[in-house]
Parts: sequence; structure tokens; C-alpha cells
Amino acid sequence: MLAFVLRRVFQSIIVLLVVGLVAFSMFTFVGDPIDNMLGQERTQADIERLRQQLGLDQPFVVQYWNFLQNAAQGNFGVSYRQGRPVSEILLERAPATLELAAVSALFAMALGIGLGVFTAIRRDGVASNLIMSISLIGVSLPTFLIGILLIWVFAVELSWLPSFGRGEVVQVGGWSTGFLTSSGLKALILPAITLGLYQMTLIMRLVRSEMLEVLRQDYIRFARARGLRERAVNFRHALKNTLVPVITVTGLQLGAIIAFAIITETVFQWPGVGLLFINAIQFVDIPVMAAYLMLISVMFVGINLIVDLLYFAIDPRLRAGRGKGH
Amino acid sequence: MRFLTMTLTALALGAPAAAETFRWAGQTDPQTLDPHAVSSTPVLGFLNNAYEGLVRRGQDMTIEPALATGWEPIGDGEGWRFTLREGVTFHDGATFDADDVIFSYERASSEQSDVSSWFAPVSRVEKVDQYTVDIFTSAPNPIFPDSIANWMMMDSGWAEENDTARPDKEQGNHATLNANGTGAFRVTGREPGLETTLAPFDDWWGEAEHNITEAIFTPIQNPATAVAALISGDVDMINPVPIQDAERLDAREGVKVIKGIEARVIMLGVGHDHSQLKFGADAGEPNPFQDVRVRRAVAQAISVPAILQTIMRGNAEPASQLVSPAMRGFSEPNAEGVTQDIESARALLDEANYGDGFSFGLKCPNDRYLNDEAVCQAIVSMLAQVGLEAELETMPVRNYWPELREDAFDMFLLGWSPGTFDAEHPIRFLVATPEGNLGTWNFGGFSNDRIDEILPMIQSEIDDTRRQELLDEAAAIIQDEVAYVPLYVQPLVWGARESIELVQRPDDFFILRWVRVN
Repeated sequence: MLAFVLRRVFQSIIVLLVVGLVAFSMFTFVGDPIDNMLGQERTQADIERLRQQLGLDQPFVVQYWNFLQNAAQGNFGVSYRQGRPVSEILLERAPATLELAAVSALFAMALGIGLGVFTAIRRDGVASNLIMSISLIGVSLPTFLIGILLIWVFAVELSWLPSFGRGEVVQVGGWSTGFLTSSGLKALILPAITLGLYQMTLIMRLVRSEMLEVLRQDYIRFARARGLRERAVNFRHALKNTLVPVITVTGLQLGAIIAFAIITETVFQWPGVGLLFINAIQFVDIPVMAAYLMLISVMFVGINLIVDLLYFAIDPRLRAGRGKGH
Repeated sequence: MRFLTMTLTALALGAPAAAETFRWAGQTDPQTLDPHAVSSTPVLGFLNNAYEGLVRRGQDMTIEPALATGWEPIGDGEGWRFTLREGVTFHDGATFDADDVIFSYERASSEQSDVSSWFAPVSRVEKVDQYTVDIFTSAPNPIFPDSIANWMMMDSGWAEENDTARPDKEQGNHATLNANGTGAFRVTGREPGLETTLAPFDDWWGEAEHNITEAIFTPIQNPATAVAALISGDVDMINPVPIQDAERLDAREGVKVIKGIEARVIMLGVGHDHSQLKFGADAGEPNPFQDVRVRRAVAQAISVPAILQTIMRGNAEPASQLVSPAMRGFSEPNAEGVTQDIESARALLDEANYGDGFSFGLKCPNDRYLNDEAVCQAIVSMLAQVGLEAELETMPVRNYWPELREDAFDMFLLGWSPGTFDAEHPIRFLVATPEGNLGTWNFGGFSNDRIDEILPMIQSEIDDTRRQELLDEAAAIIQDEVAYVPLYVQPLVWGARESIELVQRPDDFFILRWVRVN
């Protein structure tokens, strides 16, 4: 058991290091931050001086090594653009992204499971066919288009919801939350739908096919034969048994929601880490880009590690294979 | 589901914003509040609302008194004497006097400052009395007062108290997030990248023309979102409006589009000092662009009005020289630009022995100037008409400047906005032979002895007529030699609610004290 865990953790660290290396090798192609940092009146000498000062004259491997050394001490450097510590900026922006991701995931789960069950039970109904067709839009339309469409309908034409931003936020012990004000809650609706739509469709289709599978099982027939009410059969017996794969997928998708919030945040000017990352790319703000990419990869690797460990706990075959040949 | 109903209920409770609150959005957030740390339009434009200089620019860009009530040359052009305004206070209540000017000079001209080049002509600054300051220049400098409109005054006491006596661009300090100027508005809240709030400064020395009680700035990066925010009334003004949306937006009820021209001239440059072409099938020696006839043929092959009509939707003006007519020192005798003449262009190429044309590389940014990529594509097809085959390569500006610095081009697109609003500026940066502080953006390495000779004369000529003669001569040389092919003056397109009155200045600065909400 311990050997397995150690091996997995070791592998995860290797993956992280490789991700960082690839990221740093790409920064060279993203562009040169110097011109953004110096004004119109810079001279060649200024350019050389700043390049040296930032260590940009060194090969990317050396830059990466320096980053790792500092990161190991909890120092992610100072943003080129804002002149403030990157860790401070990330902490400031994280609540916006996490709240948006949480609400999107909730929305995707609630609606995805509800509609999935509905379309499975009424598999030939007009309504469920309609839902299935419309759900195709959720998967096929690009996120930014959905976002712009929602803004156009609900902010511009109907004036129900704000077109951008996070509304009013309240500071609760260093965490800025939009949950406590009406404008904050209103501002959450459109971005959350935009971000969660794809996951919702995914969950809905997953639940539907699992449900259809389960509804054919013998124990459902027996349950019906026992004269249980439809609702009890559908929800207590059938749905419960479809949830295992749904929860696995949703858990893994949570990482994706946070990582892919970039586009939604850009469309809605949502002040989270994704928007920060986009700004960093445009400015070639290497410390911010590096910290963000590392953070996201730590998150993905972490989630995968936990899943692996859970499988290990659940699936006895994994343990048996590692045994002493019996 | 329950969450949705909950939020829909919350929605009904939302209160409308107060009428005098003015909200505006720009594409980029000012990256610092330090007036000496970054010399860029978003920063200086924004800070002009909170900080002030000795002089400032009026609605028509002319210089007018601000923290100095007057100024006069010292002796025979040894420098300038500024008389300071009395009774001016900073936002924190401190009094403004000569010591603050001296301090702001030291701070802005320090090595850590990004605006130190403004003070390159200055030899020393002396306090005469509490409200008089002498600024000496190493050579006579007629446009010095013009060149310091964005040199903003900081309180020495405040700076020392908060340990921000020098700007710190890399690490940041107190002045990065806080502002303490003398301007008509004080910064009341600052969340970088999210929102910056301002309120009128009650003890401002001037007469308030605006009627706003609170102003809120938000950066909105996505142009489509900004347009939606303006139409839905979430913001009162946006800058910029995408050109392709301008007409549609203007037709919409409740909003208006404000158009003007910017100070920026868009032009084509070539590698004057390249002995060979670097791209295309004809790469290698010779470099045809070293022949002035070829350069002129390029200018004659391009129809600027056609570009403006199609790509800029008629929002821009053709340029004849490196500055727009709104700038000081614009050369009237050279106001006639080149017009398209395919026949003559062909004849010129024939004469230069390139009658069959040749192919070369054209580099363009795709996110720096308005519709820059589309403009370059149009230029490619226009040049093809005379047999010049341009291989177009476009890239984001963050990759573009390094590429130009490494001389990886045969022809390139460049926009130039003169920081001093004077015709001398582009000569110094774009035309002078590159060396030290001169010709720092002259990527093509254009070099002309007469230009290098008259540039210092222009810089130190105190007599306006004589100075204009020199500028005219320089403009004529640049046109004759086709050092650059000037294309057009970039348009400025802002959008606002119908109820907003504002002033659009060609430097793209948005000045809050001219805003009225009706």
C-alpha cells in the first residue's frame, strides 16, 4: 500500500516538473515582455539592462530552475505588469473563479441529473426529444458564442441581468464573496450557465444512458412487481445506482471547469484567475503565467492522484496484483 | 433549481445606481497609479484625472496653466522660469510648493523612472522662492513647457512618509496602488484589474465643470462585452468601440458614437540598411528598397482612400507626413500626400530595373493598431498590381517588436504617436540615424546627413518661424527620400450614453472633469 502511494506521488511530481519545463520552453514563443514594460522612449541600453535584471537573457532551463528554487520557498515572484507579488494576486482572484466554478458545477449537476432522469423515463416523449436536441447545442456551440448570446438576450434586450463583472462583493476574512449581495448573485447567473452548460449536457446524457441501462435490470422489474410507486422505483432504486459513474465524471470535470473558466471569464470580464491568465499572456507576464500553469497542473495532478488512491481503496484487484504472487 | 429561483428573487431586489455616478470602461487597466513608473497612454491618461503637472493640455491640445500660473524663458534660452500657483493642496491636505516640484523632478528624472527621457535636456532645477522654480536646459529648448504636460507633481512629504521617494516598477510600492495628487478627482478605491473609483476633490483649486459625484472605471477586455455593457446601461462610456460596430451602435437609441482622429500616424517602413532581401523567392542581394524609386513606387501603388473606405469605414484621414495636421510643427508646404498612380509606379520600377517586380517579406502586427492585419492584406493586394509580391506575416505585438529589433523584415507596418505632440518627435525617434538616444525606433536604419544635422537645430531653435522652416525642410527630405510611406491617421472611436457630454482629445486621454451627466 505504502509503496503504491509513494510511487504514485513520485510519478505526480515528475509530471508536474515536466509540465513546468514545457511551459517555460513555450514562454520564449509567447513574446517579449520588455516592450510592454518600457515606454516609447526606451533605448537599446534600457532593453538590455531590464532583460538582464529579469534574467530573460538566460536559457529557459536556467529560468525554470530559478523559478523552481523560488517556488520551493513559496515565492512565485512579482508580476511584471502589476508590480505586486504573484501569490498575493492569485489569492485575490481565486475566490471569483472558485465561486463561479462551484455554482456552475452545482447547476450542471442539478439540471443534468434532473433532465437526465426525465429524458430516460419519458424516453420517447416530445419534451425529452426536444431536450435532447437542444442539448446538442450545449455541446456544439463554442463557449464564447453562448456567453455573448446570453449577454445579448438577458442584459441588452431584456435588461434583467448585468452584462459583465461580479457585482458587489463582500470581504469575509480575506475571501471576497459575491454570494451575500443581490448584485453579486445576479452577476453569477449568466457566467455560471455559460460555464456549466457543457458539463450539464454531459451529465444529462450520462445519467440518461445509465438510467436506461439500469431500468432494464431485473431488480427494477421486481421493484415494479412489488407494486412500489413509480417515483420510488425511479429515484430510490434506479437513480441511486446510476450515480457512481456520474460522481466520478463530475469530480474529474470540476478540474476542467476551473481550468476552462478562462473563456467564460474573458467574455463576462469575470475577475478570476482565468482572466488574470489571459491578461498575463497578452503582457507576457511570465511570473503570473508560470504560477497559474503550475497551480492548474497541481490541481489536475492532485485530483488524479486522489482518484487513483480511491480506486486502490475500492478495487481489491489492484491490491492483489501487487501481492507476493498469490 | 432552487438556486435559480433564489437568485431570480434576489434580482428583483436590485436597486438602480445613483444618477451622478459615472461608469466607464477601457480595454486595459492602468497598470500602476505611479505617475512616474510607466509612460503609456492608459496610465498617463487615467492619472491625468488625479495628478496634475505644471502645465496641462486643453480641449484642443494647447498648453495651458495648471500648477504653474505662468512661465517665461530665462535669459537667452538658458531655461524656463515657472511661477507656481498658490493655495493648491494635495488630496491629503498638504500644501503644494516649490519643494514638491524639485522632489517631483528628482523622482521623475531618476534612473528608476520611465519618464526620465523627458528631462534629458534639463541640466538642473532650482528653487528661487516658495512659489518660483527655474529649470535650466543644457541647450535652448523652445518646446520644453510643451513636453512636460504629463510630468505630474507628487507631494514630497507623502512620498517620504510612505517610502515611495522613487518609483519601483518591478516590485511596486505605496504609490503603485495609491494616488495623492492635486487633481480634480481623488482615487477612493483601487482594485487592480477590477475596478478603480474616484470622487471629486472638494479642495481643488479650479472651477469644476463636471457634475459627477462618483466615477468608476472598469477594464473590459472583450470588445463585444464592452459594447453590450454600454447598450444595456451598465456603463456610461466605453473606449474604444470596434470600428465594425460603430455604425450599428450609433443607430441604436440611447447611445452615441464619438469619432475623431488620434495623434497616431500609420506608415510603412523598409530596411534601408539591409544589403539584401531577407524573405521571399528573391531573398539575397540586392535589396531593391535601397533605391528611392522603388520606395516611391510603393507609395504610388497604394490607394489610401480605398483602405480607409473599406477597412476603416471612412473613419480615418490620409497622412502626408509623419505627424497629423493637429500636431505642432506640421509642415503645411508638404501637406500634399502621394496619391495612387499605378502607371507612374510601374514606370519607376522599370526605370530602376525592377519592371518584372520581385517578392519580399512584409511584417505586420495583428493586435496593435486598429484593423492592422486587414490593412496589411489590402496593401499586399495593391502592391501586387505593380508586380511587387509581398509575403505577409502577421503576429501579436508581443512578438512583433523583438522581430523588428532583430531586423527580421523587408518591409514593416508602424504607428507613431508623438509623445510631445510636436513634429520633432518622430524625427528624433524614427528618422535620425540610430545612435544612443536617437533613432531608437528607426528599425530600418534610415540615415540622412542633413536630417542628423538639422535635428539638434530644431531642438534648440527658440524662434518659431525659423524652427518651422527647419521642420519644413526635414519633412521635405523625408518625403523626397520616402524614408517611410505615411498611410493614414488612426481614428479614435468612443461610445457613450446619449445623456453624457464629454470631450474627446486626440491623445486618447479621457478627462473626467469635462464630463457632464444629463
